[in-house]
Amino acid sequence: MSASTHSSVLKHHFEDLGQQHACERLGMWMFLATEILFFGGLFGAYAMYRIWYPHEFELASSHLNRTLATINTIFLITSSLTMTLAIRSAKLGQRGALIGNLLITVALATAFMVVKGFEYAEDFHEQLVPGPGFGTHYHQEAISKGLDPAKIQLFLCFYYVMTGIHGIHILVGIGCILWLAWEAWRGTIPPENYSTVEVVSLYWHLVDAIWLFLMPLLYLAGAGMKH
Amino acid sequence: MAEPNTATANDDPHGIRQDVDNPATLILVFVVLIGLALANIGISGAMGPTKLTLPLQLAIASVQAGLVAYYFMHLRQGDKVVILTALSSLFWMGILFVLFLADYLTRHMVVG
Repeated sequence: MSASTHSSVLKHHFEDLGQQHACERLGMWMFLATEILFFGGLFGAYAMYRIWYPHEFELASSHLNRTLATINTIFLITSSLTMTLAIRSAKLGQRGALIGNLLITVALATAFMVVKGFEYAEDFHEQLVPGPGFGTHYHQEAISKGLDPAKIQLFLCFYYVMTGIHGIHILVGIGCILWLAWEAWRGTIPPENYSTVEVVSLYWHLVDAIWLFLMPLLYLAGAGMKH
Repeated sequence: MAEPNTATANDDPHGIRQDVDNPATLILVFVVLIGLALANIGISGAMGPTKLTLPLQLAIASVQAGLVAYYFMHLRQGDKVVILTALSSLFWMGILFVLFLADYLTRHMVVG
């Protein structure tokens, strides 16, 4: 009998820990595949309207706050690093470093949401919202450039839906990572159970990777435009 | 099959520490990711909206996502079935894009 069969972490229906970890990773990757297709639908709809109304999308994008989006990009990429370092700490049995890396990840994710909140507040204040609240100055600007103001609002619908759904994923991630930190603090994540950290990290990295595409599609579409 | 080295087996009976990430590699990937993000922002601002801007932006984002998947999501250590699952998600998304773009982009081509 191999050493890996002697572990309190090993579930009864697996032959050894290697098989258990592989199954956990595969299960999370299958979930991520559905997430990629879910966001794929949104990206597809965006692509369609971007092809049809490129100038309206570029004009609308040029009004978004790229500085805050850049700060958020740095937050998310850094959080992916700390999450990966958390797996390393879990594998090495460094409980303090594991909890520390997880809490830094949570702090960066929370900072992302706070910045997002300020950004939404600024957008609402400047009436950069679709519907009855849409600013008349944006309406006039579009007309003066020979563009359709309704399509500017269409871009804003994509902006709020895509960043909103992404934000919900961030909140779910924060909850999962806090749970991991709690379990690590309780001492239920020994090195044999590192894959618990790894499956949450897979989700977190996907959320990061999706942002890496949202950034150019939403914030950089109108970069360099002069008003 | 030969038993693993006794000292190593006692120290790491499940072989968990064998594939621990090198922090220097992770930090290098992190620096490259930040550099690419800033490059994307800088190049987009300098170029402005041209026909080449979007493909370039998406190419940079794809490289970034690839680095995240390969190093941070550990696809470089992944089982074949995990890599197949990851690639299949892209394959299905490709089908999604091809089918609906084939529809929407050809609707103006009225026949007859």
